[in-house]
Amino acid sequence: MSPPGGLLDPRQLLSSLPDAAKKLNPLTLWRNPVMFIVEIGAVATTVLAILEPSFFAWAITAWLWLTALFANLAEAVAEGRGKAQAASLRAAKRDTTARMHESEAVINAADLRPGDLVVVEAGEIIPGDGDIVEGIASVDESAITGESAPVIRESGGDRSAVTGGTKVLSDRIVVRITQKPGESFIDRMIALVEGADRQKTPNEIALNILLAALTLIFLVATVTMQPMAIYAKRVNPGVPDSLALTADGVSGVVLISLLVCLIPTTIGALLSAIGIAGMDRLVQRNVLALSGRAVEAAGDVSTLLLDKTGTITLGNRQAAAFVPATGVSPDELAAAAQLASLADDTPEGRSIVVFAKEGFGLRERKITGAHWAPFTAQTRMSGVDVPDRQIRKGAASAVMSWVRQHGGHPGEQIKELVDGISASGGTPLVVGERVGGTSRVLGVIHLKDVVKQGMRERFAEMRRMGIRTIMITGDNPLTAKAIADEAGVDDFLAEATPEDKLKLIKKEQEGGRLVAMTGDGTNDAPALAQADVGVAMNTGTSAAKEAGNMVDLDSNPTKLIEIVEIGKQLLITRGALTTFSIANDIAKYFAIIPAIFAAVYPGLDALNVMRLASPQSAILAAVIFNAIIIVLLIPLALRGVRYRPSSAADLLARNLYRYGLGGVVAPFVGIKIIDLFVQHLPGIS
Amino acid sequence: MLVLASLVVALVLVHRPLGDYMYRVYTGPPGRERALYRLLGVRPDTEQPWPVYARAVLAFALVSVLVVYGLQRLQNWLILSLGFDAVPAPVAWNTAISFVTNTNWQSYAGENTMGHLVQMSALAVQNFVSAAVGMAVAVALVRGFTRRGSDTVGNFWADLIRGTVRILLPIAFVGALILAAAGVVQNFTAPHEVATIAGGTQHLTGGPIAGQEAIKELGTNGGGFYNTNSAHPFENPGPGTNWFEIFLLLLIPFSFPRTFGRMVGQPRQGHAIVAVMATLALLSVILTNVFELSGDATVPHAVGAAMEGKEVRFGVSDSATFAAATTLTSTGATNSAHDSFTPLGGMMTLLNMMLGEVAPGGTGSGLYGMLILAILTVFIAGLMVGRTPEYLGKRISAREIKLASLYFLVTPVLVLTGTGLAMANRSGLAAMHNTGPHGFSEILYAFTSAANNNGSAFAGITADTPWYEVALGLCMAFGRFLPIIFVLALAGSLAAQKPVPASAGTLPTHRPQFVGMVVGITVILVALTFLPALALGPLAEGIH
Amino acid sequence: MKRLPRWVRTHLAAVRAVAVLTLITGVLYPLVVMGVAQVLFPRQANGSLVEKNGRTVGSALVGQLFTGPDGKPIPGYFQSRPSADAYDMLSTTASNLGPEDVVDTLPAPGKTGTKSLLTQVCARSRSAGELEGVSGARPYCTSEGVGAVLKVFPNRVVSVNQPCPTTPFIPKYQGMVVECARPGEDYAAGRTVPVRGDIRNPAVPPDAVTASGSSLDPDISVEYARLQAPRIARERGLPLDRVHALIQDHTTGRTFGFIGEPAVQVLPLNLALDQAR
Repeated sequence: MSPPGGLLDPRQLLSSLPDAAKKLNPLTLWRNPVMFIVEIGAVATTVLAILEPSFFAWAITAWLWLTALFANLAEAVAEGRGKAQAASLRAAKRDTTARMHESEAVINAADLRPGDLVVVEAGEIIPGDGDIVEGIASVDESAITGESAPVIRESGGDRSAVTGGTKVLSDRIVVRITQKPGESFIDRMIALVEGADRQKTPNEIALNILLAALTLIFLVATVTMQPMAIYAKRVNPGVPDSLALTADGVSGVVLISLLVCLIPTTIGALLSAIGIAGMDRLVQRNVLALSGRAVEAAGDVSTLLLDKTGTITLGNRQAAAFVPATGVSPDELAAAAQLASLADDTPEGRSIVVFAKEGFGLRERKITGAHWAPFTAQTRMSGVDVPDRQIRKGAASAVMSWVRQHGGHPGEQIKELVDGISASGGTPLVVGERVGGTSRVLGVIHLKDVVKQGMRERFAEMRRMGIRTIMITGDNPLTAKAIADEAGVDDFLAEATPEDKLKLIKKEQEGGRLVAMTGDGTNDAPALAQADVGVAMNTGTSAAKEAGNMVDLDSNPTKLIEIVEIGKQLLITRGALTTFSIANDIAKYFAIIPAIFAAVYPGLDALNVMRLASPQSAILAAVIFNAIIIVLLIPLALRGVRYRPSSAADLLARNLYRYGLGGVVAPFVGIKIIDLFVQHLPGIS
Repeated sequence: MLVLASLVVALVLVHRPLGDYMYRVYTGPPGRERALYRLLGVRPDTEQPWPVYARAVLAFALVSVLVVYGLQRLQNWLILSLGFDAVPAPVAWNTAISFVTNTNWQSYAGENTMGHLVQMSALAVQNFVSAAVGMAVAVALVRGFTRRGSDTVGNFWADLIRGTVRILLPIAFVGALILAAAGVVQNFTAPHEVATIAGGTQHLTGGPIAGQEAIKELGTNGGGFYNTNSAHPFENPGPGTNWFEIFLLLLIPFSFPRTFGRMVGQPRQGHAIVAVMATLALLSVILTNVFELSGDATVPHAVGAAMEGKEVRFGVSDSATFAAATTLTSTGATNSAHDSFTPLGGMMTLLNMMLGEVAPGGTGSGLYGMLILAILTVFIAGLMVGRTPEYLGKRISAREIKLASLYFLVTPVLVLTGTGLAMANRSGLAAMHNTGPHGFSEILYAFTSAANNNGSAFAGITADTPWYEVALGLCMAFGRFLPIIFVLALAGSLAAQKPVPASAGTLPTHRPQFVGMVVGITVILVALTFLPALALGPLAEGIH
Repeated sequence: MKRLPRWVRTHLAAVRAVAVLTLITGVLYPLVVMGVAQVLFPRQANGSLVEKNGRTVGSALVGQLFTGPDGKPIPGYFQSRPSADAYDMLSTTASNLGPEDVVDTLPAPGKTGTKSLLTQVCARSRSAGELEGVSGARPYCTSEGVGAVLKVFPNRVVSVNQPCPTTPFIPKYQGMVVECARPGEDYAAGRTVPVRGDIRNPAVPPDAVTASGSSLDPDISVEYARLQAPRIARERGLPLDRVHALIQDHTTGRTFGFIGEPAVQVLPLNLALDQAR
């Protein structure tokens, strides 16, 4: 796999050269009109150079071929990076056999049909994509995710999907095949990373149209220049013929040079590389975009639906405070709470023990003679019985009625505490005890969802980028609101059902917004399919993976934010290089126009602001610059323009300054420097 | 420069009420023109999809061309013909296209070719309606931005009638009376001889000039009653009328963005468009003045000022300002001989047209041309902010870019291929009045003017030859109607879209940043397209 | 009635639209403007005609020639600017010559020559100077009133606007002897070099040596009028102050003080002269 950050290794350039040369085939090159014209120009100058050889003509010819080659090189390098990954995927796609469930017949994996049931045991390769219908197994998915730690897959629930080519490490499972032959996830991945079935994305198509239009204009401008030049030469009969201009007009080599310099070769050369590299950047982050359109849509997303659990919060509620009842000291409550939770293995229970230790210095202790009362759905509380004392913690109503049963009188104060915590979005756990004949409420444990660090800042960033974040949660509205406020999301959907989600997406889309979401469960599938960017977790069900248009192999819901940024970066890179490419033309005119015409109209030498040595050196320098800039920009095209989340206006100002102004200035400098070298070549000045 | 300042002040004061008024005309219910709809047999509230709208535009143009052509060819049978013959077929064809396309290129001299009836009932009528067609198309495009998921863009007949009788007619009427009060002639006098005090004779002529003059400027038409157009004392008797004519020709183009802003519900978007137009226009007017006042060329140096072809009452500066204004709008009226301008001053008039008649351009056509440039800018800039480009909530995707690119392609291709063909054949070259690069500039100017529907000329050129009548006629027709078709298709495509709500991630299109970008992209695209041609014409002549 | 196909209906609507709009904007509009203008401003609407002894002699707005039958200026009248077409309202035109039009085509046997704009300027300056008794010298002009323009070849220099045997305006250029021009010879291959000379502040003002855009310019500059004043005073036997006062009376200032240029209306001024005895 390519080095992170997209640094370009010169060796990579060299190794891609053969592929680049192959792409000079006009049958493939015509798809890129800009570069196709460069190639026609190169062929034409070759012919002209053969008919009328001169060092200048051959030098121009060579550089025109290099221009076309460099353009292909960009694409070849971009594709080359995917090839490494494709190779490792291919390795996983060895011919495997499948053992059919019940019949135990062994058939070739390639012959599996959707709906077939196959058995896979420890040490065997899963023959195709599907869902586990029976059993549980640890699976090594490193072939596709690159992650060596095995993962657990089990039937039912949202972790039932298995991918063909991965290996079962333990146990035995029965898998229902869901893929069609030859359309396995791995097949699709290989095609994707190789860019084999890469289709142009909508923006790319639009940009191509614009580039074609510009090319056409410059074609017309150069062709129609010819009769004008002939006239200019004729009305100045005293001016001797030059290499660039004779009575027959501008020489073919020079005219072609001008055309190639003017048409947007820079962006034309890099456009497809930018697209491939964008997909590649996702792959580097272990996200597979199943269509380029989705990557682009990610840049356009204006609403992000984020699941609360796992994305915004750490996933489990944790003890955040012990609120004692009147007459009870905090330490007393802490001790009771800890005691009641020592045997409680739920995350909430563990968090109470941890909190008691951190907040009150209570160490874990071994209790002898304790009888643990586990949580049941009927009692809705758990606790411990030690000699002379019973402690219970649990749902407020349950614990309070337990206290009342045993003669206690939980006061109004407790009710207020409980309501207060609920209102703030927390979960109250009431702690009660019974000592001898009396029972009382000791206080309330405040459990709350803990928002991941840095999320608030992240969402503020999103807001600056113009993206609305909506938190999706099964919690009640009160709880949801509290967490939404704490996390700083713009909106929330509480007590969300899959239908609610789908409805929300449709509503957002109705308003013209593009929606992105993550999901893993089968019931997420409709919403994933409806969303413009639907990222399925690799751990999820195959239904989810089928419905979404991206799969996150790391199953990290937070990655949605990165995906959006990559999408934006892709579009920005295209725009920036287009601007750069067009801005470049100004300098090229200043090099070439005086080079051709200063002989007939000496005043035009004033346009030679770079003071280039001779007409030949000026034209050659412009052509060389035009070719070299492509190579110099390949790393940028592959890495993408640096993107820092900020408002559109700020982004534009920065990029305009860098690529617009830079695009105007850079070629003046570059052409001048090249001119300083080429003027010493024979036959150039 | 006080003239420029006073024009700016006047336009700033007027653009708002006029823009708001035009907004009400185009979006409000039918007014007193209702009776006219019945006469036409159209229902003004029947909405048309863009192809129907476009067909109506073309049908109207076709009938107009036939009528204008026919009236010229039958002139000898008409009243008020002043005894002039039927207009020769090539001239009549060229003139019919010219006036219907709002170009008003004139390959004839009005005072010895056209009788009063043809001037007033054929040519001046087109001054009104061709302007109204431009406005109608612009309004249709703006509707494209304002509608959500609609398959229609308005009703052409309603837009045409409303624009003509409720906007152009009243303003032209007031303008005509002001001009008449200041000395512009309005009678039916035929040419007659008078004895001069020096004992010689002089022909005096007359005609329904004031009425025609007002709409000539207001509708950015520019076709003069006389050959020398607004230099002629009967068309433009004094400095005051000169100022007023400049004001009239800038009036609607600079007010229309206000109408646009109101229609899209965001006046500040209109301000941005006006700002782009005004920036380009101010730069151009100032540069034209600088070049003309510096008089940097051999003959002006010998003379002491660039006074050849200019009137004493206007002087160099007001002539330069008029020249810039008439070429920045698609008017093409002239109060001085552009052919005799300094090379760089003349280049400015060329460059103004090459901008595509967008700063502020023609009535309506200036707005839709500028909106196309805004769309192209949004596309390039929008990518740079990391989103699919949007303008006013409408996505600029492949179809929109295709239409905008086609629009943008039309005029440069016409100008350059037309000029190239002319330079490559004997009939083309024979038309030159001047020699060397200036002769080339004349031809470049002719095609630039025709394709951009401006109509002014480096008038030394002999354009009344069949080759030029046909070539320039085709340039005018294609230069007018191909863009209109693309604009209407774009309107249809935009209207069908549902808008995307704006957010912080949306490229703001009302800020100075965006204004600067549109200006920059316009100038760069135009410079890149035309630099070789300009280098061989005015630059070759003007830089020493 | 059967419904017509849509394209027919569209064109019928177009025909009706053209007819209706022609009636409104092409007949009613101009007639109403004419009616109102003729009632409110009859003088202006009819061309601001001026009379002398009850007889129309022209329009205050339109310039005319004040030359005799021989084409020579009548010395008792202020002269108008040069015109590209002799102040003929039936064929108005400008010269349309470019600012670098400096090389004449000399008349040769079987070929009429053309005068470049520069030479026209020089010639006008010279004759105006003669008429007013001042120097007609200008930059880029030879003393006999043609453009001072050289064609420079690698090994020779020709003063192209000065036909042999005229003595070239400068003897040498870059060390080479300057030749006079032989009519009919093609000098196109030479580099065109206009020579400025050392004239500063020519006495004849710009408007006196250039043709206007309309060929009907009714005005001259105040400077040109004042240049002519002594001649008028002499010819008419009027005190110079009186002539200056008349010029003043017929000077239209800038509109609102900043629009346009001050201009002297020649025909009304000359009419005033005729009355000022």
